[in-house]
Amino acid sequence: MSLKRRLTDRIFWVVCGVAFLLIAAPSISVLVSVFHQAVPALGWQLFSHRTNAKATGLQNAILGSLILLGGVLVVAGSVGVAAGIYLAEYATGRTEKLLRFFSEILAGMPSIVIGYIAYLTLVVQFHWGYSLLAAVIALSALVLPYIVKTTEVALRQVPTAIREAGAGLGMPRTATLTRMLLPTALPGIVSGLIVALAISTGELAPLLFTAGFTDTNPKLQLLHQQVPYLTNVIYTDISLPGSRAHATAAAAGLLSLLLLVILITAGRLVARRARRQTARMSL
Amino acid sequence: MPEPSTQVSYSRPVPEAGGAAQAAPEVVDAVFDIADLNFWYGANRALRDVSLRIGRQEITALIGPSGCGKTTFLRCLNRMNDLLPDTRIEGRLDFDGEPLYRPGVQAIEIRRRIGMVFQKPNPFPKSIYDNVAIAPKVNGMKVNLDDLVEESLSRAALWNEVKDKLKQSAFSLSGGQQQRLCIARTIAVKPEVILMDEPCSALDPLATIRIEELMTELKSDYTIVIVTHNMQQAARVSDRTAFFTVEDHPEGRSGVLVESGPTHKIFTAPSDQRTDDYITGRFG
Ligand SMILES: Nc1ncnc2c1ncn2[C@@H]1O[C@H](COP(=O)(O)OP(=O)(O)OP(=O)(O)O)[C@@H](O)[C@H]1O
Ligand SMILES: [Mg+2]
Repeated sequence: MSLKRRLTDRIFWVVCGVAFLLIAAPSISVLVSVFHQAVPALGWQLFSHRTNAKATGLQNAILGSLILLGGVLVVAGSVGVAAGIYLAEYATGRTEKLLRFFSEILAGMPSIVIGYIAYLTLVVQFHWGYSLLAAVIALSALVLPYIVKTTEVALRQVPTAIREAGAGLGMPRTATLTRMLLPTALPGIVSGLIVALAISTGELAPLLFTAGFTDTNPKLQLLHQQVPYLTNVIYTDISLPGSRAHATAAAAGLLSLLLLVILITAGRLVARRARRQTARMSL
Repeated sequence: MPEPSTQVSYSRPVPEAGGAAQAAPEVVDAVFDIADLNFWYGANRALRDVSLRIGRQEITALIGPSGCGKTTFLRCLNRMNDLLPDTRIEGRLDFDGEPLYRPGVQAIEIRRRIGMVFQKPNPFPKSIYDNVAIAPKVNGMKVNLDDLVEESLSRAALWNEVKDKLKQSAFSLSGGQQQRLCIARTIAVKPEVILMDEPCSALDPLATIRIEELMTELKSDYTIVIVTHNMQQAARVSDRTAFFTVEDHPEGRSGVLVESGPTHKIFTAPSDQRTDDYITGRFG
C-alpha cells in the first residue's frame, strides 16, 4: 500500500470517528443529565401514584401517553398504510397528484399549527372540548405523512418482477398485493409505524391545544374528557418552582426516552422477525 | 449446397431433423392470428404493422437484434403491456378466433390461459411448494394442490431435485432450478400457451439444454412462443421462426417483422437479405 493511500485511509477513519462522536455525544449527555436530575424522583411511586401536589407520581400521564400512542397507531396507522398502498399500487393521474400534494402540505406543516387548527375545529367548532379524540386526530395528522411515505417506499422497493410474476399467472392484483407485496414490504412499513410512534412520544405542541391535562387517570372516553400525558408534565413542572417539580419533569423525560428505546427495540425485533419470515417464506 | 467461398467464416445454424424440419410451409391451425399490429410507448412506435400467425402446439421462435420489439410483441400476446401506463395498441390480435383486446375481455383471465416465463427467473419470496401452489389456490382451481405441485414440478423436470425440500425458500435453488420452478409455476395454472422471454439467457449451457428438452416435451400439450438471442437455440427447438428488426422511419425507429416461416426455411433459405445477414452473423 502506498503512503498516500494509507494516509487517506487514516484520515477517513478519523473523520468517521469524529462524526460518530458528534452524533453520539449529545444523546449521551442528554441522557446523563436527565437521569441525574431525575434521581430524587425515581421510585416505584412514579407508576403507583398520580400527579398531584403531594406525590411525584406519573401514573396518569404514563397511562394517558400509552392510550394516545394506541390511538395514533389505530388512526394514523390504518389511514396512513391504506394511503401508502393506494399511492404505490393504484393511484394514477389526478387523484395521485392531489393525494401527494396534501400529504406534502401536511408533512411541512409545523406541529403547533396542526394543534391550533385541531383546536379551532375539533375542540371549539365541534364542541368536543379537550379530549382524547381531538388529541389523537391532531397527533395522527402530524405523523400521517411519515407512515404514507414509508409504506409507499417499502412497497415500491419490492421488485417489479414479483408483480409481473403474479400478473403473468393471472393472479388478481389484490392477491399479489396481500400475499406477495405486503409481506415483503412489512419490515419497512413497521419501521415507518415505529418512527411515527416515536415522534408522537416526544410531541407536545399538537397536544397542548387538544388534550388538556388532568390529575386523574385517563378514561377511555373519546370526547369531553381531558387526557394527561408525559410531555405535558415535562413542560409544566419544569416551569414550576421547587426541586421536586423539576425532578418530576426530569423523571417524565426519562420515561419518555425509555418509551422511545422500547419502541425502537420493538420495531427492530418485529422487522427482523418479518424479514426472517419472508426468508422462510411460508404461505 | 456449396459454401459461399468468400464467407466461409460465417456459420449457419442448421435445424435438427427431429421436430423443426417437419413444419408445414404455412400455419394451418393458428392460435394467434395477428395482422397489422402496432404498438406505442407514448409517442414512440415500437412495433409497426406486424402480421404473424402462430400455430397450435408448435414452438415459434422470435429472433432479431436488441431493441427490435420482441419482448414488446410477446407481452402484447398476454396483455402484459396493459400494466404499463401510456401505451397503445392497434391492429388485429385474435386469440382462438376472438379479438384479445375486445372490451370485456379480462386481462387476468387471458393471462391464466396464456402463461409467461420471464428472462430473469423471478420466483416469489416463498417456499418452493407455495411458488407452484399459490396461483392455482388464489385463482380458485378445484384441484388437489399436493398432486398439482408434484405433477407440475415433474413436468418441469425439477421434482426429483426438490421433492425433499418443498418447504424451503425458492431462493435456495440455483438459477437454472429457479427458472424451471418458474416454468412449473406457469404449467400449474394449466395455460394453453406459454410465452418465454429469453428463458435461458441467465443459465449455463447444461441448464439451457434441460430447458430446451423441457420445451420439446411440453410441445405436445402447449403452444410455445420463445424469444431468443441464441440462433442455435432457435434452430434446435423451434418449428417456426419469426425474424424482427429495427427500421428507421421519419417519425422514429420501429420494430418490424421481416419474415416468418418454418425454421429450416428461415435458417437455410431466407427470402430477405437482412434475415440472412442476421442469421449468419453478418448483422452490423
Ligand atoms: N417500458 C417501456 N417504456 C418505453 N419504451 C420501451 C419500454 N420497453 C421497451 N421500450 C422500447 O421499445 C423498443 C423495443 O423494446 P423491446 O424490449 O421490445 O426490444 P427487444 O427486441 O426485446 O430487445 P432485447 O433483445 O434487447 O430484449 C426499444 O426501443 C425500447 O427502448
Ligand atoms: Mg427483450
